[in-house]
Amino acid sequence: MSALAPTVRLRGYERPSGAVGIRNHVLVLPSVVCSTRVARAIAEGSEARWITHQHGCLHVGDDLRHTEDALMGAALNPNVGAVVVVGLGCETVEGGRLARRLAERQQVVDFVGIQAAGGTEAALSAGRAIARDRLAELAATSRTGFGIGRLCVGLDRADDALVEPLVRELTRRGAAVRVASELRGGAAHAQLVRHGAQVIVSLCAANEAPLGCASSPVVAVARDAETFEGLADDFDLAVLGSPVTRDVELLVDRVLDVCLGTPTASERRGAADFVLDRLAVTM
Amino acid sequence: MLTGYRRANGRWGVRNHVLVLPARAAANRAAELIAQAVPDAVAISHEWENSPGDPDSPLVRRTLSGFAANGNVAAVLLVAVDSRDDELAHQIAARGQLVRTLSMNKHRGTIAAAEAGSEAAKRLVEDCVARREPMPLSALVLGLECGGSDGWSGITANPALGIASDRLVAAGATTILGEVPELVGAERFLAARAVTPEVGRRILGLIGDFERSVEALGVDIRGAQPTPGNIAGGLTTIEEKSLGAARKAGTAAVQGTLGYAEAPDGRGLYIMDTPGHDIEQMVGFVAGGCQVVAFTTGRGTPTGSPVAPCVKIATNSHIFERMAGDIDIDAGGVATGTSSLQSAGDAIYEAIIASACGQLTRSELHGHREFAIRRTHYGGAGSKR
Repeated sequence: MSALAPTVRLRGYERPSGAVGIRNHVLVLPSVVCSTRVARAIAEGSEARWITHQHGCLHVGDDLRHTEDALMGAALNPNVGAVVVVGLGCETVEGGRLARRLAERQQVVDFVGIQAAGGTEAALSAGRAIARDRLAELAATSRTGFGIGRLCVGLDRADDALVEPLVRELTRRGAAVRVASELRGGAAHAQLVRHGAQVIVSLCAANEAPLGCASSPVVAVARDAETFEGLADDFDLAVLGSPVTRDVELLVDRVLDVCLGTPTASERRGAADFVLDRLAVTM
Repeated sequence: MLTGYRRANGRWGVRNHVLVLPARAAANRAAELIAQAVPDAVAISHEWENSPGDPDSPLVRRTLSGFAANGNVAAVLLVAVDSRDDELAHQIAARGQLVRTLSMNKHRGTIAAAEAGSEAAKRLVEDCVARREPMPLSALVLGLECGGSDGWSGITANPALGIASDRLVAAGATTILGEVPELVGAERFLAARAVTPEVGRRILGLIGDFERSVEALGVDIRGAQPTPGNIAGGLTTIEEKSLGAARKAGTAAVQGTLGYAEAPDGRGLYIMDTPGHDIEQMVGFVAGGCQVVAFTTGRGTPTGSPVAPCVKIATNSHIFERMAGDIDIDAGGVATGTSSLQSAGDAIYEAIIASACGQLTRSELHGHREFAIRRTHYGGAGSKR
């Protein structure tokens, strides 16, 4: 039995918004697919995280709002201590506006526009200098204790026998739980991140391989023996068949270890997948 | 003289890439690690999860397999998760492309798969060393694209590119116009150039279907087209943008219409059903066989393709000077009187041939390898398993 009891206090990073993060990421966020390579090149080789995505231009109606919300959500998750928005300059999801909206939500944010900077090279140097400064600032902040009541654990599916006992055990220990509705896989992760989950539990059925996530650690749980056997290194643990109380307790212990800093399998391999469920075709 | 690489399946390429292709999103990281370890190989990443019941799966597989079988790709290392990804491997092989499949579930996951994949990719790079040989112009397929358009696009770079397109078509090559949303308003001019009345009806149908699908969504296309950047650049309406965009296709007869990522079955000018989204469009072009893309820009778009040279043409000299590192040619002289449309068109033609012959474009030098696949089923359907 874990030493962690319902009254346990975790350690994390206080954010200006009032939320608390269990990671302290600098996130380099492209507002549009056209700036993904620059965003990645800014982050690569440093401790900064980055997202690669295929969106940000020629959205209409609800799909535009939904895309902006998903990108905002990735950047506003409490695990993110600072954001470098990289825009192009002519895109529909304007990078400068995205950065202003993040600042209004009390996120620490900088903006680099490729066209405004004068091209790829200039944007890269500007972005790298900003990211370096923000990484140094975040490295100087320290974790403080917080009550488990401020932790939100996201579950990426509702239709698994493990969900009900897992929600019960997490709740018993004092954490909040959010279960993804309708969506599955990477799109569910984006939804959970947007709703503030600091850690995601991914329940993978047969033939489902674990994904990573830039903003929040993903605890990947195999629910199928053959899939686990083939991809064991990419999973954090397996809970096969009907879960028993002991399985559920072990899983929650692992989640709390991750909250205390233990890296997940997805963090160790550096996976930071971003998948968006679109609401309309691209124009 | 044009040079390129002759492929065993009869195709021609102007680059000699080994492509590391993740079969689904869960394989993105392994593909990325392989390309980091083997700089001579190129990896892409995408968001498709190969979920059972995803209604877009046929379109995505057609796009990925077409992209992988482009003449610029000498061989493919497909990073699969398990046997659910076999269908994609079959489709690539069915196009006559050399493909090796690496299954992550034979290696306990990403890290060991990436180590084995790096060895496999190194071998493919060694095996695929090839020499250029004279390539017939009739084997060249060029994509015609504009991105970050401004008020000058329809006056300078687009008509100049149209002259280059006409010259290529006259020499027996193939060019493809896309961006259906940006042809709204120009459909009658294009239909009038169709080789047969049936092709003309298909052109009107393609653009009309798009307009009706937008109406069915209950949204106003003007919310997205023109983009904020287009408007800042002096464009006022989608019709104005379209009339300028269509000029990239010169005056040649339109031989036919193509579905997204579909390859032409003849030579000459074709129209492909692609969105205006620059990257979804470019991926559709390359998946449909384009070995080179010519891309005009007024606002300064730096993007490129993972496997194809993208010749970037400025519509105005200001942006060419401002983003000199990202743009290959300046067509702005047409507006200031320092060059004629004909001489700008000839310069674009020469730059297309030079890049095909191996001269690296700015986007290639910068490693711009953006990738996006068009999806047509919306409402999150693809994400619900």
